[in-house]
Amino acid sequence: MSKKVLVEYSRYPLNFLAIFGQVFIIILLFVMSTFAFSAPGGGSGSDVSAFAGMMTYGFVTSMFMSFTLWEVGFSIRQEQVRGTLESLYLSPTNQFSNLLSRIFAVLAWTALVCVGGIALVSGLVGGLPATNVLRGLGILVLSVSGFLGMGFLFAGVTIKLKESAQLLVSGLQFFFFIFSAQFFPFSVLPAPILDYVSRWLPVSYAVDLFRTTLVGRPPELLPNDVVLEYVIVALFGVLSPVLGYLGYKTIERRARRAGTLGEY
Amino acid sequence: MAGETVARGFGLGRPGRRASIEVVWTVFKARLRIISRYRGAILLESFIPIFFAGLPIFLGIAVAGSEEQAAQNFFDNTQLAGQGTNEYRLYVLLGSSTFMVVSLMLWLIGYWVRREQETGTLESLYLSPAKRLHILTGVTSYTLVRSLSAFGIALAIGSLVFGVNPLSGNILAALGFLALGLPALWGISFLFGAFVMRIKEANAVIQLVQWILAFLMGVYFPVTMFPPVLRGFAMAFPPTLMNDAVRSTLLNISSIYGPWYVVLALMFMAAWIVPLLGYEAFTVMERRIKRDQGVGQF
Amino acid sequence: MAEPIIRIERLSKTYMSKERKKGAKGKKAVHALKDVSLDIEDGEVFGLLGPNGAGKTTLIKCLTTLLIPTSGRAWVNGYDVLAEEERVRASIGCMLMGDRGLYWKLTGRENLDFFGALYHVPRAPRRKRLQDLIALLKLDDFVDRTVETYSAGQRMIVAFAKSLIHDAPILFLDEPTVTMDVPTARDLRHIVKELHAQGKTILYTTHLMHEAEELCNRVAIIDHGEIIALGTPSDLKSSIAREDVVSLEGVFSDASIGRLRAVQGIRNVAVATESGGRTKLEVLCENSRAILPKIIEAAMGDGATIEFIRSSEPTLEDVFIAKTGRTLSVDTRVLGEREARPRGR
Repeated sequence: MSKKVLVEYSRYPLNFLAIFGQVFIIILLFVMSTFAFSAPGGGSGSDVSAFAGMMTYGFVTSMFMSFTLWEVGFSIRQEQVRGTLESLYLSPTNQFSNLLSRIFAVLAWTALVCVGGIALVSGLVGGLPATNVLRGLGILVLSVSGFLGMGFLFAGVTIKLKESAQLLVSGLQFFFFIFSAQFFPFSVLPAPILDYVSRWLPVSYAVDLFRTTLVGRPPELLPNDVVLEYVIVALFGVLSPVLGYLGYKTIERRARRAGTLGEY
Repeated sequence: MAGETVARGFGLGRPGRRASIEVVWTVFKARLRIISRYRGAILLESFIPIFFAGLPIFLGIAVAGSEEQAAQNFFDNTQLAGQGTNEYRLYVLLGSSTFMVVSLMLWLIGYWVRREQETGTLESLYLSPAKRLHILTGVTSYTLVRSLSAFGIALAIGSLVFGVNPLSGNILAALGFLALGLPALWGISFLFGAFVMRIKEANAVIQLVQWILAFLMGVYFPVTMFPPVLRGFAMAFPPTLMNDAVRSTLLNISSIYGPWYVVLALMFMAAWIVPLLGYEAFTVMERRIKRDQGVGQF
Repeated sequence: MAEPIIRIERLSKTYMSKERKKGAKGKKAVHALKDVSLDIEDGEVFGLLGPNGAGKTTLIKCLTTLLIPTSGRAWVNGYDVLAEEERVRASIGCMLMGDRGLYWKLTGRENLDFFGALYHVPRAPRRKRLQDLIALLKLDDFVDRTVETYSAGQRMIVAFAKSLIHDAPILFLDEPTVTMDVPTARDLRHIVKELHAQGKTILYTTHLMHEAEELCNRVAIIDHGEIIALGTPSDLKSSIAREDVVSLEGVFSDASIGRLRAVQGIRNVAVATESGGRTKLEVLCENSRAILPKIIEAAMGDGATIEFIRSSEPTLEDVFIAKTGRTLSVDTRVLGEREARPRGR
């Protein structure tokens, strides 16, 4: 199944290039925006580097999250549209392996894109901080695992919502961009938003811990209880895929009962 | 004679003006009906510009260190472009709302072709004697209504969220510029639709073009900040012109293109050249596809 | 003599198809239609038969202006398919995409109204026409639900209604009964016969032999982009050397069997004795329809009783097999040109 997904990707090179291009343009867009808000003389090199690091590493988490939502979750929608979803369900292949097959290809691809993005920003600002890299990667693995759970759940939601799922994905992306502060420090968010929204999102802790580890600063959300922040991210990484998959199966079962699985 | 049988049935093939208007109206009505059956679609897309604006606003405050410093820095940087405004929230909100109009055009017209291909209805449309132009007019009228609604709702909600007043400038002139910019957008969308008909898996490409547009339009900043070559290209781009015209009018600042009559002249030129080019490209591609595999293939 | 309503002159269509073999990519010319010439008379039900990939859909797409042919010309209702596209489209009703071609978020009624407008049917007559079609095709139960809730058969029937909305003189029906249940398919064929009786010209493609034999005045069999047989179903069946077999079961005396063997036109009589004194006779003959009365007359008498009788004639598939050496179920596209060359041609 992974091979099928990779073969599908390789047959659409324009798609590949377009995704790469998107990432670079998005990075350029936000970097140019920061120039519009920077003092005309510019700040000190280390400040710029640290800020760029916060933005870029947050961007990495947003990339993984977006790709899992789109490629794992929304690909189910594409199968619906093409009419191949029912065929897949009719095959004896385990549905979990169907979902998983998309994951390996997607993760490999996303990692490549992120490396490219980091290199681009590093080139633009003259280098990014990179401390505790191994620990950072471990946190990223847990975060990605958590995002995958979201992707599984979203795959189920797609079966139900059909066409509206596309807008929901866009909405969710932007929601997390802002409320999980993926492109800027949490300190910028108004206190009510921070306390009543951001702190309740596991994604926020994943983003915070990942980027502050790499930039070499204390976490913003729980600076006095770092252990708790690690626990939240670990629980997110472990429980989310399980709950997400259970959610997906529940919705799928309901769709099969209602006969709406193949409904476009 | 076989040709006499055309008198049988309703099809005639020689429709009057009324029948043509009926085609436009029917397509328009059908698209509205279809979108009304997707729960929450319109509302959701009205919120996207707000999120889209919120990102650089928060980013900017983070970069500057405080809201006051962000406003000052923004003023200093836009002053270099001859615009000089500290209303960065409204500036960005207007940019992202205008971008929503552009993006919807691209998706609803450019992707309409692809979408009809995927669902098999494109062939049904091509089998009918209705002129392609009339069908497209129906679709573009629908996109006009949808994108202007999204623009208006996003601006209204965004003004409340960010605490800005978009009505302090010349609202009528701004709407006029918006309306004048739409034909060029249609042209770009037709151009894009032609491209989409040709390629498979258009999603990623449309998203890329969307982001390129946001970049070139100067959604978050004046394009005069670009290096010279890129600046020239961005300024030649009709959506950039429209965005700057609308924004500078509502913010009571100068346009990067110069006095209002220069802006008006440029927009008039774009309003008839770009749609003609776009529609020509569309029909050429359509003919090419009919020669190859037929319009239904995807 | 009236001009044909559809005239095709040396129509050809070649596609350049992308090929992937062992990691390498290349382009290959696919000749979907080769110099096809055909006339279809006004008021005729014309059948188009052929396996998958034979060129039926390509031919129909060229005639319905969806595809531009590589060379050759065609006229539909007197209008050139290249130069007078809109007139051609106004003259035809099409059901080509099966159960696709409808908007899933619109109801059946809204779809029909939509396409009626696109075919320039004025509003008032359109409403009446809609009502008539709903009554004719028994769409009442589901026409006001969105198409996404329909079964495949229901979508097909609405797609059929769509082809009739503007009462065009020519209909192109591409496998219209596929996915329909038996009663609905039967009803549709009945409607096709009624439309034929009204004087409409119908180009009908199907894989089902009995449909072609039941409905079509003439049939063209197409293979590898060429017409390999053309004629009425009975002429085509007569054109191949194949024997009919009449099976009789019952009680027959030796005298009955002897009389049967003596009937002119009977080649052979195979006898199989079954339990309980019953006998099964397989009578090989040239034209079972013509000599069936003589068979029955010869078999009866001397206390004979016929309990069962069945006649099998050549089918159009037999015609295809005779011409190509393959069955209709073999997809032409998976065979190479060399493999697919028919025997004896």
